[in-house]
Parts: sequence; structure tokens; C-alpha cells
Amino acid sequence: MKKIVVEGLKYRYPGAERLALDDVSFEVNAGELIGIIGKNGSGKSTLCYALTGLVPHFFRGAYGGRVLLDGLEVKTSTVAEISRKAGLVFDNPFTQISAAKETVFEEIAFGLENAGVPREEMAERIGWSMKLLGIERIREKNPFELSGGQMQRVAIAGMLVMKPDILILDEPTSQLDPQGTEEVFQVIRNLAKEGMTILVAEHKVEKLAEYADKLLLLHDGKCAAFDAPKRVFSMENAESYGVELPLAAQIAKELDLRDEAGLYPAAPDELLALLKGRLQGAAGTGERLTE
Amino acid sequence: MNGMGLYEERNTWVHRSDPVTKLFYGITVSAIPYILPYMGVAAFFLCLNILLLVLAKVFRKILPILFLSFFLMLSIVIVHGIFHPDNRTPLFSAAGIHFYREGLSLAALLIIRLLNMICGFGVVILTTKPDLLVNGLVQTGLSPRIGYVIHSVFRIIPQMAATVNKIKDAQRARGVETEGNLLTRAKALFPLLVPVIMSSLIATKERTMALELRGFGSKGKRTFLKEYEEGRYSRQARWFFLLLLFGSAVWRVLA
Amino acid sequence: MGKKALWKISTAGLVLIPVAVGINYVGKTLASLLKLPLWLDSIGTVLGSMLAGPVIGAISGMINNIIYGFTLDPVSTVYFITSLAIGLVVGILSYRGWLKSFPRVLGLGLIVGVVSSIVSTPLNIIYWEGLTGNLWGDALFAYVIHLNAPLWLASFLDSIVVDVPDKLLTVLIGYFIYIGLPKNIKQLFADDEIEEL
Repeated sequence: MKKIVVEGLKYRYPGAERLALDDVSFEVNAGELIGIIGKNGSGKSTLCYALTGLVPHFFRGAYGGRVLLDGLEVKTSTVAEISRKAGLVFDNPFTQISAAKETVFEEIAFGLENAGVPREEMAERIGWSMKLLGIERIREKNPFELSGGQMQRVAIAGMLVMKPDILILDEPTSQLDPQGTEEVFQVIRNLAKEGMTILVAEHKVEKLAEYADKLLLLHDGKCAAFDAPKRVFSMENAESYGVELPLAAQIAKELDLRDEAGLYPAAPDELLALLKGRLQGAAGTGERLTE
Repeated sequence: MNGMGLYEERNTWVHRSDPVTKLFYGITVSAIPYILPYMGVAAFFLCLNILLLVLAKVFRKILPILFLSFFLMLSIVIVHGIFHPDNRTPLFSAAGIHFYREGLSLAALLIIRLLNMICGFGVVILTTKPDLLVNGLVQTGLSPRIGYVIHSVFRIIPQMAATVNKIKDAQRARGVETEGNLLTRAKALFPLLVPVIMSSLIATKERTMALELRGFGSKGKRTFLKEYEEGRYSRQARWFFLLLLFGSAVWRVLA
Repeated sequence: MGKKALWKISTAGLVLIPVAVGINYVGKTLASLLKLPLWLDSIGTVLGSMLAGPVIGAISGMINNIIYGFTLDPVSTVYFITSLAIGLVVGILSYRGWLKSFPRVLGLGLIVGVVSSIVSTPLNIIYWEGLTGNLWGDALFAYVIHLNAPLWLASFLDSIVVDVPDKLLTVLIGYFIYIGLPKNIKQLFADDEIEEL
């Protein structure tokens, strides 16, 4: 069974005129890492909300289509039920801290308490998620006294402890400094290695280009592309969707440097390989590389 | 959690007592002098409370709190001492104004009761960590969602106070005047108030979403990470206080 | 909003309560900082009721006084009933459309002031034989008692003299902030049906 199935998803916020999501359909396999890209207002956040039930249960409004997580239909389940299948992390680490707990350890337990998990199980689960996020050392600290990156990792731990096997992150690094950003992306990499299904909405395309299995490009609430990163970047009109290509692809595009499949490279090492190939080829034939 | 609260860390038996039982105590001893309005009753409980405060080594901390009600107490003495309708017997005069016995003895009762209430609550407040009290209440039956609300009040208020300071500095730098005549000062209210409110409300929306995603809205049974241990004689003590309260009410009705 | 919506308690409402208490605190602090002759300690309760209804407003008021009682001044706990009443009144009347025109908002402010006094008077009588601890109010009380008026009247006037101006201004401030709030914040507390597309 596909991990996530989205069929004809349509959504309009209350009081809005246009659809925030317009007939979006795609499927995600277990263990895939999907990047959600598109310019501001294209529907990235709304899609993240729709995958976890906040749309429509929290935001209300007008809803159509289906979202299935491991067969569980979002429309007919509660947000609490869905939270055991899929966790969601936002951009602001500060507001994700419950503000009711004194230490990181207790903070992570919050979701378990709400879910009625037996006390004996709690310590083990919390320990597991702290290890995964690399935050064991700060377990006794006050959540509000952490750095942005640490707070965000605590927020992720708080979600993971519910043992969802899907994790969705909506611009998780936009409010973090470079170190915090690196910490979070490291976590995403580790989780992907553990086999978690991950969707990340991001502007930092460089990072996504390296790790994502597929990119979902949204434009005006519609799905403009859903394909491997290289293919998405090699689309003719990629930039018209407000996507900033990763540096490697930009350079390749300038030099019209494509691989055998006719695609631009997504990552620096691929670009390097192509450049070396071209330079060696040119040296051999005496061809001029530029005008 | 140093932002809020008057809790003082000490290691006395009062501090170690069960928080919820202490609360029962505080409410009972503060309420009884109002049910049985006799000077003897009020004085007895006041002495009991002062004794407990001394034993808990927090007596000095109650004095500033008592001082907050100074004007009220002064008003009680003056207004009732001079103007009470039952006044008949002059007790003394000051600057040509008579103070009467009836009014003053009523004032004395009112003040002793007030002091008793503050000290009674003081025994609870100064020796109990608010978080522990809330946890205790939740495990004794208070809704966990309300428990969450109270926990978060203690954290959100210091944050908002800090935000007010930041906004105040920022706005002052932009030219908002906070000193001067009444009109000038009044005009400063909105530029200071609105940004704080806006940022808090936006945070409210995001925090609500995050809580929902962590099962806060769930109707099912909840569990607790921390074991809340009731004191050994807590049950009996609480029933005792309840009975005392009920007994006083009955006495009042019958007498 | 249906009848059910008037009395609902949602997660959003619960998260609002500490913020309402915080805003009460901020209002009080600013009034004291700017040396304004008012308490302004109920702006949060009022705003909370306007946004999330009477139940949340009432709980905010009650928790406000209980927390103050616990952390600053035990005497505050006595008046939790008053704060509760303010939350209820603003919530119910907002729901009934009293925020729709400015004269009605003024009326709301006056009503809140009067209700606040009506609820506080029995408390003041029980606890301090009618006084309030406020300079002008108690001076008026003394004068009215001197004229042989009944206790309840003297106490009521003692309260009114401070409560009406303070609550009127509090409601006005709350109102002006409320109408300036973005739609998505007000939406947070609405309970609309989900439309099918």
C-alpha cells in the first residue's frame, strides 16, 4: 500500500475567494523523502496542514478530495488520531513548545500524556526520541532557554515520540541560524536513513536537491511537477514557477551542460563530473568551450 | 520558574506537606472566621497561621504582602471608626473627630479576619511550588486541560512582561513619549499595548495548532509522567478540614 | 454561530486564556507605568470574551484572580466572581451583536461597569463591611453613610465611582483592538461547518 495517497485535493480557507489547493494528486511510497517547493502563497503550508488534518478540522473552510495516510482517511479522522500516523513541525520553534513543562524531558512527554500512553512506556520512548535527535544532553534544561536549533529538535522529538511513521516539516529552518539549519537537516537525513517517510516544505532548494527522492512543485495551489529533482530543475519553465534552481543546475543551464538523459545536474558533484567530461572532451577535439 | 510566584525554597515539614491538603487548609482557615464572625475565632486562626509561618521560616515574607492591604485596613479603621451607623460610645478623639467603640471593634474584627486570610493563604503560597499544586489538583480530579492552562499562565506571563519591556524600548526609540502630561502618557498606551497583544495572539494560533497535533484535544483518558504522591494522612486531613468547614456552617445556622 | 457555539470550549480558547491573563497583567503594568488613574486590569478578559465567547472569558477572569491571589495578593481571590461576571457579560453581549455599533459598545462598557459593581458589592459588604480600599470610593462611602443611607447603597456607590469609568475605558480599548485584529485570528475561535467541494 502506498504510504500517502492524495486524490483531487481541493481546499479553500474560510472567507477566501480562491482555492489554496486546487485538485492536487500524488502518491508517496514508504521511506521516500519528498521536497515540497514553490513560491510563497503556492500552497506549501496548506498542503502540510492537509496531510495532518489541520485542514480541514482546525481551519474549517471548504474541502474536497481525499487524503489517505496508510489507508486512514484524514477527512473522517480527528487530528489526535492522525497525529499517530503523521507528525508536523512548523517554522517557529518557540510556539511549538507547550509552555506547560519545566524540562525538555517532560516537554517531550506531553503528547504521550495526552494519548494515554502508560507511564512505564514513556521513559523508554522519550529516551529513544532524544537519542534520535541528539538532545540527551539537554534533557533537564528549560525548553525556553534553548537555542533555536535545539528548540526545533525538541519540537521534532515531541512529535516523533508519538511514533508516527510519516514526518512533515513546514519550513523548519526558516527561523534558524546556519548552525540550527544544519542541525535540523542532519536530523532529517538520519530519519530518512531510518526509513521514515518525510515531506519537507522548503525554500532552501540546495539541500533538498541533494537528499530528496522527489520534488513536488506547487504553483497557485496546483501541482506543477512531481518528479525527481533533476527532472524538475530541467523543466523548461522551471523558473517561471518561482523556483530558484540550485547553483549546480544554474551553472549547468548557463553552460547548457546536460547529462545523457538530457537533464541538468542537481548537485555539485554531478556538475563537476559533467564539467570534467566536457573539458576533457574539448581538450581532445580542440573545441572551443565558450564564445 | 522564578518569574512568578512567591514560593520560597526551604526544607520544613510545612514545605514538604501535601500541596492539595495545604490548599484545603488555607481555604478552611480563611473561610471559618467569615462563617463564625467572632473575634475569638478569627484571633485563634490568625495565631495558628502565624505559628505555621514561623515554623516554615517564611514569616518575614508575609509582611510585604500584608502591607499591600495597608490602605484598605486604614480605610476600615477610619471610615467605620468614625461613621458606622451603630456608633454610640466615643472611645477617643483626634483633631476634634470622634472615634467610636462600636465602629472600632467592628474594624478590629474585619482587620483580624483580613490578616488571617492573608496569612492563611500565605501558608499555602509561600511553602508550595505552584507546579506541584497544579499537578496535585489534576491528579485529584481537576481537568488536565485546565491544568495545562494554569501551568502555561505561569510561563507565559513572564514572557509577556519581557516583551512589554522590549516593545517599550523600541517604541521609545521611535519617539513614543511615556512621560509628560496625562494626554501624552495616555497616547502612549496603544503603541505599547497593541504590538504585545498582536504578537501574543499570533503565537496563540500557532501554539493551538501545535497542541492539537500533539493530541491535546483528545477526549480519551490521559496518563501522567510524574507520579504525584499524596501525603500519608492527606485523605484524613482533607476530610477533617471539610468537616470543620461544614460544621461551622451548621453551627452558624443553628446559633 | 449556532447556539452551541456560544458555550463551547475549544483548544484555541484554552490557549487564549493565559494570553488573556497576560494581557490583563500588561494593561495593569502599563497603567501603572504611565501613571494613568485607572486599573485597566481587565483588558485581556474583555478581549478574550469578545474573541472566544463567555465561557472562555469567564474562565480567564476567574483564573486571572486566582493566579494573582497566588502570586501577588491573596485579596484578589475574593473578587474572582467579579472577573467571572465580566467575562460572561462581555461574551454574551458580544455574541448578541453589541459590538456592531459604537453607541452599543459604550452601552456595553457601562453595563460591564455596573455589573462589576453589583457583583462586588455583596463581596465588599461581607469582607469589609462595604468598603473597597479605594480613596475616592471610600470617601464617598463615608459621606453617604453619614447621610444615613443604607449600607448596600453606600457600598454600591463606592464601587461604581471607580468601576464604571475603568470598565468603560477597558471595554473601549478592548473593542478598538478587537476590530483591528486580522481575520485569521478571529477565525480561530469560530466554529463553522466544513463545506464540501
